[in-house]
Amino acid sequence: MERVNLLGICCNWSPFACYNAAGMARLELPPNFRLIRVMCIGRINQALILRAFEYGADGVILLECKDEDCRYGPGPEVGHTNVQRVRNLLHLLGIGQKRLVERSFEADDREELVQALWDFARDIAALGTNPAKPRQEREAS
Amino acid sequence: MNLDDPRVKRIIRERSLSFCLECGKCSASCPRMLTGKQYSPRLLAHKLITEPEDEAYIENSVWECLTCGLCEERCPSGVEYSRFILEMRTLLAGTKGLQGCRAHDGALHSWMRLMTSPELEQNRLDWIGPELRVASSGPLAYFTGCAPYFDVFFSWIEVDTLSIARDSIRLLNFLDLKPVVLGEERCCGHDLLWTGDQENFETLCRLNYEEFKAAGVKEVVVSCPECYQVWSQFMPQVIPGFDLQVTLLMDLLEREIKKGGLAFKPFPRRVTFQDPCRLGRMAGRCDVPRNLLGRIPELTLKEMENSGRSAICCGNNGFINCDLYSKRIQVERLQEAKATTADLFITACPKCMIHLTCAMRDPLRQGSLALEIRDLVNVLAGQIEWSGGEDAIGTRRK
Repeated sequence: MERVNLLGICCNWSPFACYNAAGMARLELPPNFRLIRVMCIGRINQALILRAFEYGADGVILLECKDEDCRYGPGPEVGHTNVQRVRNLLHLLGIGQKRLVERSFEADDREELVQALWDFARDIAALGTNPAKPRQEREAS
Repeated sequence: MNLDDPRVKRIIRERSLSFCLECGKCSASCPRMLTGKQYSPRLLAHKLITEPEDEAYIENSVWECLTCGLCEERCPSGVEYSRFILEMRTLLAGTKGLQGCRAHDGALHSWMRLMTSPELEQNRLDWIGPELRVASSGPLAYFTGCAPYFDVFFSWIEVDTLSIARDSIRLLNFLDLKPVVLGEERCCGHDLLWTGDQENFETLCRLNYEEFKAAGVKEVVVSCPECYQVWSQFMPQVIPGFDLQVTLLMDLLEREIKKGGLAFKPFPRRVTFQDPCRLGRMAGRCDVPRNLLGRIPELTLKEMENSGRSAICCGNNGFINCDLYSKRIQVERLQEAKATTADLFITACPKCMIHLTCAMRDPLRQGSLALEIRDLVNVLAGQIEWSGGEDAIGTRRK
């Protein structure tokens, strides 16, 4: 199977607590998965998600808090709006809406988070590499 | 900046920068300087020739320009300022990386670069309804450009740039032309070119050229002035043996109308026209849109204070450096339009439409700048008819 590049963008609060707990418990994570930790998923805009694909990601997962758990207020709602808009662009580009995944977690959902990452890795591996990968990224990988 | 660098010397020579008289007409007309930005075209030329050691100033200034071309319009020495900026950006990008603060965090440049993938499989034709007659191969093609992407990305300011593409095809269909519209055409690369990304621009040019050649196209009709500039001026430089004929939609319309048989239904509105920089000054089409509008009965064209070759920029180009000075240019432009008492603002470039609509939607202005904005193509497609008066064109979608 082709090696795919997976990127997670993770909120610092509930999802990162899960991720941290999973690491402490030495739960296995997909090997080709990289994580970017941000203070809140509301910090992420359309451009940053698109840029992940521009820089060679084959799949992007946003790991966010439950709507009612956001430490700042509207973070996850901002995430939902951005995901919807970027999915429309991904559809136009033929990258496919399925390559952008959004999941939310409570602070003690470490098994759910690990399971979500494995599901994500399996789904993206099944889709293969992103067809709209710029030439420079193709040559680099 | 090393003045001994032969590439810099060549740019200065080829773009006639040494002919600068320091008369200051460029700076006195620069919309960016007039709105208070610390940027001066005259000083940039001066520094580059006499104080090349002031690298920080030169490099900042090169990325500040709007490339609207008003300065070179006024320059008595024929300095080709826009091309000078373009070549300096390409040079600087090659040595120091892409600069210029990218608007919308660079999302637009991202999708333009994503389109350089040869294996792209876009879904960009969803907007073509059954009322439009298009082909997948043939001699005449219509180049859509980024409109499908703009309408998704800018959904929050509710621009409808796809209406320009639809109405362009309706007009071509009306003239009994069935244009090829390709599902794998790319962005023309205008914004990448003007922001210094020559490599990806050339890739887009080649991919577009190959797609259109493969579809058997001989002539490409373009409605967007930026796409027209790229297709007619820059693509032939990138592609040896470029042999596609590139036609601006409004030129084609004017030609067809002169043959007779076509007329326009009355349009009792007071309108004003914004000359896009790539159409008016750079392609010399100031009269064509006015002639076309002049053919519409009962339409009153109210010119803005600065119009035609002196038109003021819509505030931004290539989606870099959108800042409060851009906003001020836009606000002043819209106030000029308001002062004409026109109730419809007509432009001919989707970018003007996007940038000015964005300024109109500014919540702090509380709608005081709001003005109905439409593209020239929308107005023409809505009013065209055969001279007999029969309504030959299909009903508008909205």
